[in-house]
Amino acid sequence: MNFKSFLFAFLFLGAFVFSACEKDKDSDPDNEQELITTIRLSFTGGGSTVTFNATDKDGDGGLAPVIDKIALKPNTDYALKVAFLDESKTPSADITEEVGKESDVHLVCLTGSGSMPSPTTLDKDKNNKPLGLSSSFKTGAAGAGTLKVTLKHEPDKNNANPCSTGETDAEATFTVEVK
Amino acid sequence: MRTFPPFFLGACIGVLVLVSQSLSSQECHLHLYGYVRDSSGTHPISYVTVFIEETGIGTLADEKGYFHLEGLCPGASYTLQCTRLGYQGKGLSLSIQSDTGVVLVMQEIGLQLERVEVNALKAGSAHTQAAQSLQGTDLEAGKALGFGESLRRLVGVTTLNTGATIAKPVIQGLHSNRILILNNGVRQESQQWGSEHAPEIDPFLAQEITVIKGAGSVRYGSDALGGVILVQPAPLPKTPGAWGEINLQGMTNGRTGIASGKIEARLKNPKFPLSGRVQGTLKRGGNIRTPDYFLRNTGISEANFSWTARLEKERWNTDVFYSRFYTQLGILRDAHIGNLTDLENAIVRARPLEDGTFSYTLGRPQQQVVHELVKWKTQWASGESSLFQLQFSRQFNRRQEYDAHKRYNALPENVDEAQIQLEITTYRVEADWEHQWAAHVEGNVGLNYMAQTNTTDRGGLLPRYENSVSGAYWIERWKRPDTPLELELGMRYDIQRLTAGPLERSATVERKSFKSWSGTLGAVYSPNHHLTFRANTGSAWRAPHVSELYSEGVHHGSASYEQGTASLQSERAWNNNLTLEWTGDSRETALTVMGYYNLIRDYIFLEPMDEPVLTIRGAFPAFRYSQTNARLTGIDARFSVLASPRWLAEFQASVINGWNTAEKDYLVFMPPSQFRYSLRYKIPAGRGTEKRHFIQVSAQHVLKQRWVPAGADYAPPPDGYLRLDVEGSFFVSLGRQPVELGFSILNALNTEYRDYLNRLRYFAAEPGRNLLLRVRIPFQVALF
Repeated sequence: MNFKSFLFAFLFLGAFVFSACEKDKDSDPDNEQELITTIRLSFTGGGSTVTFNATDKDGDGGLAPVIDKIALKPNTDYALKVAFLDESKTPSADITEEVGKESDVHLVCLTGSGSMPSPTTLDKDKNNKPLGLSSSFKTGAAGAGTLKVTLKHEPDKNNANPCSTGETDAEATFTVEVK
Repeated sequence: MRTFPPFFLGACIGVLVLVSQSLSSQECHLHLYGYVRDSSGTHPISYVTVFIEETGIGTLADEKGYFHLEGLCPGASYTLQCTRLGYQGKGLSLSIQSDTGVVLVMQEIGLQLERVEVNALKAGSAHTQAAQSLQGTDLEAGKALGFGESLRRLVGVTTLNTGATIAKPVIQGLHSNRILILNNGVRQESQQWGSEHAPEIDPFLAQEITVIKGAGSVRYGSDALGGVILVQPAPLPKTPGAWGEINLQGMTNGRTGIASGKIEARLKNPKFPLSGRVQGTLKRGGNIRTPDYFLRNTGISEANFSWTARLEKERWNTDVFYSRFYTQLGILRDAHIGNLTDLENAIVRARPLEDGTFSYTLGRPQQQVVHELVKWKTQWASGESSLFQLQFSRQFNRRQEYDAHKRYNALPENVDEAQIQLEITTYRVEADWEHQWAAHVEGNVGLNYMAQTNTTDRGGLLPRYENSVSGAYWIERWKRPDTPLELELGMRYDIQRLTAGPLERSATVERKSFKSWSGTLGAVYSPNHHLTFRANTGSAWRAPHVSELYSEGVHHGSASYEQGTASLQSERAWNNNLTLEWTGDSRETALTVMGYYNLIRDYIFLEPMDEPVLTIRGAFPAFRYSQTNARLTGIDARFSVLASPRWLAEFQASVINGWNTAEKDYLVFMPPSQFRYSLRYKIPAGRGTEKRHFIQVSAQHVLKQRWVPAGADYAPPPDGYLRLDVEGSFFVSLGRQPVELGFSILNALNTEYRDYLNRLRYFAAEPGRNLLLRVRIPFQVALF
């Protein structure tokens, strides 16, 4: 057997070696999905803190999300904190922390309508751009309105309208009653 | 040496040049060509194996009996062998001094090769591609773009794209689970239900790709309502020695580089006639550019590898084949959206947020797919007209999809961070008996069994399932050499058993069973060797896929909530088609027109639901799998004219109308009417070769799709477009080393356009100008 045929045989043997069969690495029972199940809004104003939730514990489909009705006092200064939770497991996971850690690629958009003013963002991300976990607003006269809360991933914060960019990770529209 | 009849080559249509003789002595460049007729002298005999015993140069004559051999030495003595099932061949001695045309007349079985007429056949009748088969330069030039894209050159075949790197073949309006892909004789089993799941096939593995349109399912299994794609690697060497090939390709768009190589050999020892091949491909590309901007995160990385070994004895042969396909694909970042509002915002923008820059980085979102195939096949010829075949195969497919966003909460175990991981393992056993009942009747009888397990880790879109299919088929063909008529009748019965679950919501395990028959009846009428009519009517069925029965969840990228319907019935198709083929004296002047009328009862489709589904990410439009009756009518036509020996003009047209007969509305996502015009200038690549240098200009003309249902799509269909491509191919010699060079300028005018069947058309335009260069270097290794 000369060198070339040896080389050739070597090549073929190599081919067999590379042919280890792949196997199903089924990692049951971990079939869990990543989930934000709850958007929690905490309003602090007029000497008290009230909390309202939008919750969808069974994930996409199935039962529709349950969204609390927000009740606020008129002509009051409010501080608003937004939190995101995964309540599908016990204990529930607080995802707000993760959002804060990756603040540069996240944005919380808050849009009011009717008697609910759009809150003003107070906190900044790593690049000194708005983040939105913390905000404030002042209610006016009694009336009805809505507050839309959206968590955006990778928005273009330099865009004229950053809330129309990026991917929505969580969104809920709350009805608001100011009375 | 006894030869195997041509059906050893399987269902391959067209010409297979078994051994390249490109490196043989410079003097040996003569051609021997001609065609094979029956004893009446008027009817061609198709698929005859013609080869020269001394050199092993061989070919399979085409459907019309034409063959072409090259690399013969002047004055040498040769024995020309012709063999075909039903005809008994014998060696014929001959010696030629110049390019020679012959008419071979074969007698039916029991009689011997009667006479050979050596006469002056018109030169230029070289082998050409079969009507629906892709090979040679046409195949080579498209390989860099991927398996699906390379098939677009065939009339009636389009692609369903997700960006520029994911393309699924669409045959006469049907795709995914409604077509079958046979990779080297094994039915590809992967996650083909998803429209963004491309077939896991290395195009560099193929020497020929054949598309069989219509219900071709009797031989290959149920489900093939639209057609079958056969991917055929080159046959292994028939003579002792070692050969190889290196392919290097580069594309400017995406700055893509591809290196593919193979080496094949056959041992000299006649007692141990082992042959084998090792083949591999590496591909790397970065962000694709449209005329105006780069597409973020649209790179690709691919690493494929295969080997095969074959032992060939007089009455039997055995093959082992292994292949592994791995790809990592970036998905356009801007196309990954959270909910309906995001999608609407993207459609209003109609282009990515930023112009982007070039990068090879493959970020999120992305897909990683591994497909592995091992097969073992043995054939045994029990007589001149009886062949048994047994094949075992195992396939494994792992598909991992990474969303744009990493998981917020860490996984408990140290596993891949894919949001969805689907793994499917498939075992198949297939037995076939090819036989001849009587002098004029030949056919196949076979049994097959498949067992499949699919697991889902993370992501509840598809439940875990186990699936088994048992099938039996019987096909017979009747052909008398003295009549212009040929008839074919085939039947098949399949039983499928499915166990799916536990389902996400109910946690129940569902069991279902589907069984039904498929059948085909066809006729070929060839009044003379210029004209052939084909008529085929067939019925096939497809059991609903697990994704159609039980999927439930948000489909990322399409921003839709999809809900399976557990009560779905099997689809039943009734396909009818009529083909006219006319070939001129030069076989490059040809006309093929195929008309089809296909009815599908209980056609499964995604029906928009009245109310959107509310989730914690906002509202998603909801779709439910439902059934209707569909009608697909269309024409595929191809006309080519060899205006002079140097000018070849070609025209292709494909028109399809998809109609929902229950709702009295159009079907969504049907290919728009399209035409292709091309003009090729070619010159001989040297004396004694049928190869031609050529330069070709072609225009792909796609009309706007106007046959669309209301309210089933997020945006209206894009305008039609005309895309201009320039292409060339050259054969040169560097010293004694032959080299094939090719170039393509795709979208030469840098036209900005969008394709209706690209799912990313909402977000970005199609790729801009792309210059492709390719080099193919065949070589011989002095091994023994």
